[in-house]
Amino acid sequence: MKRLVAAIALAFAAGPALAIDFGKIIDIGRQAVQQPSAKEFTQEDEIALGEAATASFLGASPLHKDASLQRYVNRVGKWVALHSDRTDLPWTFSVIDTETINAFALPGGSIIVSSGLLKRLASESELAGVLAHEIAHVVKKHQLKAIQSGMQADFWKNVGTSVAADRVKIGGGAVGSTVGNMAKPYILDAAGNLIKDGFFLRPLDRGLETEADQLAIVLATRAGYDPYGLVGALQMLAQFKGGGDAASIFSTHPSATDRIAELEKFVPTMESYTKQPQLLEARFKQNVK
Amino acid sequence: MRLAATLLVALLALASSAWAQDQAFTNRATELKEKGDAQSKTVASLAGNTAVKVLGRGGAYTQVEANGQKGWVRAFHLRFPAAIEKGESGGGLASLTSMFGGGREQKQATIGTTGIRGLSPEDLKNAAPDAAALAKAQSYRSDKPTAERFAREGKLADVKVDYQEGGRK
Repeated sequence: MKRLVAAIALAFAAGPALAIDFGKIIDIGRQAVQQPSAKEFTQEDEIALGEAATASFLGASPLHKDASLQRYVNRVGKWVALHSDRTDLPWTFSVIDTETINAFALPGGSIIVSSGLLKRLASESELAGVLAHEIAHVVKKHQLKAIQSGMQADFWKNVGTSVAADRVKIGGGAVGSTVGNMAKPYILDAAGNLIKDGFFLRPLDRGLETEADQLAIVLATRAGYDPYGLVGALQMLAQFKGGGDAASIFSTHPSATDRIAELEKFVPTMESYTKQPQLLEARFKQNVK
Repeated sequence: MRLAATLLVALLALASSAWAQDQAFTNRATELKEKGDAQSKTVASLAGNTAVKVLGRGGAYTQVEANGQKGWVRAFHLRFPAAIEKGESGGGLASLTSMFGGGREQKQATIGTTGIRGLSPEDLKNAAPDAAALAKAQSYRSDKPTAERFAREGKLADVKVDYQEGGRK
């Protein structure tokens, strides 16, 4: 940062010959605003990208075998997601069988949560808070926007061309899949490259985490849960040295403690809305053993 | 004898881990309330940095034991120190950092001692996409009527919350 400031100072000190062409920057900015749809994934492509990435994650870390646990987490997640602006996504919540503590979101409504994390939560309201945080990343398209901005120009020549015949099967064609698990080859290529690059494992920007935390509190509150669920989950997380570096709920920056401090300004404002906020500790303990 | 010593060490480790998970400190001077609401009687005044034992998380107030007295403290008035080492408390945490980030984290992942593998960028890179597992995961999806029934069973009622988000919808 200091170096950048120094470079800018130098540029100005050197006189008009090196001065930045602000007019040109504004022009470029204006073009980007005028053509927002030119470089955006369709929802169908977003879902296919998320499904392809999920298949890779499940290839690396197996799905938990407890079907009733999977259905339970899907019900909590779906109920929370129904209170978001993207109720039309095929929301899928997958519990992976690992002691590692983790949860993260993939584009198109695919959320992955580890059994190690579930075991350390105290109630369904904490689970709802964690899932709501991941749902918020999807609703706000945090990862998708980063992917879109990183794609090379030639990639976008293909996007939006929907050639039905030119598709590749990625899943088992499960009932309810909006895209029928058929993806365009360039989406699969993109997913493959993002996986190899480690994109889905990298933490998001601090501001995006704060945004996801706040929207998470709103979604959980709308769904009738105790607004403090995510706070409890973050307090559990704060106790682990190093804090973890997972893509979403565990990003190192900001730390869990910083995120709790940030939420202190926000969560109490939800209390005026709540009627009978639920913790549902007993139901959680019945389902998560 | 050696077995007894091993058992003792194991028990101590377990006890310290359990202690660590219940341990918190007040992060400012605050009040210990009789019940979990602002209107209830104040049982004691707690100075900042008072050690408390957490008896249960949930809601605006957390049930604690402080200076031998039980009561409730505002959740935001508690600090949870990073006390649990990765690899402690049942394993798996050694791989906590394995999932993410650059070289430093990857190095940590390789020294995990629990024998439970995390999900490193390398694991992911080398994994073959599992289409059958994806289909299985999708078969567990909930539909709207099921989620609504589930919510009713848990007495989860819709709450209308306007979300301004700094002026943006």
